[in-house]
Amino acid sequence: MSKEYVLKEVEFWDGAMASSQALRQAEVDIMAAYPITPSTPIIQNYADYLSNGYVDGEYIRTESEHAAMSACVAASAAGARVTTATSSQGFALMIEVLYQASGMRLPVVLNVANRALAAPLNVNGDHSDLYLGRDAGWINLCTFNQQEVYDMTLMSFKIGEHKNVRLPVMVHQDGFICSHTAQNVAPLQDDVARKFVGDFEAVDSLLDFARPVTYGAQTEEDWHFEHKAKQHKAIMDSINVIEDTFEEFEKLTGRKYNAVESYMMEDAEIAIVALGTTIESSIEAARQLREEGIKVGIVAPRVFRPFPYDKIADALKNVKAIGILDRSSPGGALGMLFNEVTAAIYTNDTKPVINNYIYGLGGRDTTIADLKQIAKEIQANADAGKLTTPVQQFSGLRGPKLSFFDMESSK
Amino acid sequence: MANVGWDEVNDAALLNPFENSMQDLVNTAQSDRDYSLFSSFSASTASWRVVKPIYNSDVCIHCQNCWVYCPDSAILSEEKKMQGIDYDHCKGCGICADVCPTNPKSLIMYEEATVEDSALASWPEKKKKEKKA
Amino acid sequence: MLEIRWHSRAGQGAVTGAKGLGDIVSDTGKQVQAFAFYGSAKRGAAMSAYNRIDDKPILNHEKFMIPDYVLVLDPALAFIGNITANEKEDTKYIITTHLSKKELLEKLPNLDEKRVYTLDCMKISQETIGRAIPNTPMLGALMKVSGMFEIDYFKNAIIKVLSKFPQKIVDANLKAIQRAYEEVV
Repeated sequence: MSKEYVLKEVEFWDGAMASSQALRQAEVDIMAAYPITPSTPIIQNYADYLSNGYVDGEYIRTESEHAAMSACVAASAAGARVTTATSSQGFALMIEVLYQASGMRLPVVLNVANRALAAPLNVNGDHSDLYLGRDAGWINLCTFNQQEVYDMTLMSFKIGEHKNVRLPVMVHQDGFICSHTAQNVAPLQDDVARKFVGDFEAVDSLLDFARPVTYGAQTEEDWHFEHKAKQHKAIMDSINVIEDTFEEFEKLTGRKYNAVESYMMEDAEIAIVALGTTIESSIEAARQLREEGIKVGIVAPRVFRPFPYDKIADALKNVKAIGILDRSSPGGALGMLFNEVTAAIYTNDTKPVINNYIYGLGGRDTTIADLKQIAKEIQANADAGKLTTPVQQFSGLRGPKLSFFDMESSK
Repeated sequence: MANVGWDEVNDAALLNPFENSMQDLVNTAQSDRDYSLFSSFSASTASWRVVKPIYNSDVCIHCQNCWVYCPDSAILSEEKKMQGIDYDHCKGCGICADVCPTNPKSLIMYEEATVEDSALASWPEKKKKEKKA
Repeated sequence: MLEIRWHSRAGQGAVTGAKGLGDIVSDTGKQVQAFAFYGSAKRGAAMSAYNRIDDKPILNHEKFMIPDYVLVLDPALAFIGNITANEKEDTKYIITTHLSKKELLEKLPNLDEKRVYTLDCMKISQETIGRAIPNTPMLGALMKVSGMFEIDYFKNAIIKVLSKFPQKIVDANLKAIQRAYEEVV
């Protein structure tokens, strides 16, 4: 039996500590990991709790992230509550096995401290890894501060392990900007958190010798499509369990979460859509802009997969112009968030003017001033009722203005 | 097995070889096991054969070599006693005959149409060791 | 919103100092943020750490800061670091140096007319803790200059922050904090 860890009502935790404390309280059986910056302290803290008797479990040091996720898949199939954490290149190396975990419907929890992908080498935060894993069949929960990292990590087990879901879950936090930045976090006490998460219930355990089971069967064109369709249906339907879990969590803590978060949207004329800590900085920028009479609101998918298409459309139905911010190098396209959010809005009767910003790559500071400038450009689009800027612009970049698809001037 | 739709396939493409829980699996003969449709035991590879092994119990020493080496678990064995061939799952590869150590062999490959009794009636004699010159 | 920027070398404890301060402030019911500029910098490289303190939740995640206080942990950084970046009129500087304030300002005329406070955190930490770890004495000096907490309250609070260390180290740190509180001018 593990020792109880008495927590203060308000702790001063960085995002990594917030997630590792949640992993400890969830009484994870196995953490298999190959630590990489900036996810390292998540793993280190868990190993520390383990060594000091604050959790009953096992820490498996693997020889790579590919092996780490492979160990997670095996341990989860064997019937354990399993977790790991990674970032960037480590995430990229895990990719193959991410698809195995979701295809085998194993509720592994993966904390991702989002970081840029090399080359050039960079340890700082952007959303390149988040984007890389978006089609891997995992539930993706996004956080904008340390409190949310703690809350989402606790909820991720309850969601992924639900009998109607049985899918792996990623919890994303901005590398360094959240993972290594400490702020006030109100945790639950161990007994309350444990009761909320509940015991792990193994399904189709490899170690159930009375009912042996084969994982990883081969299905060719005669079966593969049906299995992938059923898997897709499971992740699409998981939104119900996710929202139920959010509701249950709100009853416990008073902290309310939604599949799509909206801030100051009631009377907003324009909107910023983004992910990560940029959401909170945008709220700060919006408060300042509202004093100047610019009515800006902010919309963010809390649940990035399954993508809440209908709720995104609903959240943005009353604005005249939208700026969609992508913190990942798009590699020859519009930003992914731009594409997905724009597709969601397409069915609305309103046809807002939408533009795309690429910003903050490799941890480039995203300042309140940058966000205010972006909002002012969006406002100009709203006022003109058409694009006054190219569709895609880079924000916070040195050198001559870089932009693409100047639709108005090419008419 | 019927080609059911996406709504009827099982989660995660898992294969449960038995319909229900199997207690004491090791001590339950294959014929008494409650195999599911997803078990390969429910499918037959008999039609794959061009040649088939015929078993001669008079020569067999129950060494279990054929049971170990058969890639399709098609050697029937109980209490470490060779019982014969599972012709529903034997695909006629000939490995059992190849690894059989007796003289003459206890397992010999014959044309698929060969009648077992006639093969046993004309089983080869023990080969004498050829003296080296 | 109160904002503090730390100038330090990796290994001198600026991050620990910023997080320790945050720990103490968060216990009072205030909201606080602590972060640092990281690279692949090794021990000895110049780095900066930051605190924001406010009565309401801190939503601002930019690294950009117009500091109320600039804390310089390493004597050389006052000379080679851009410690006055994004300053405002009443930004207060607490600089660790072996020089007197007069001598320092003679060498750094750009700091003249600014609100500069000096002490020798290196000497204090070496004479009390036995190592050049200038973070806790700097916090003692900050308490004096800012009046953020009564020094006895602060010393009592930092005992919890240092709880993983042996009593000897805790006592030495308390001594360093008190000396810094008295010596900063």
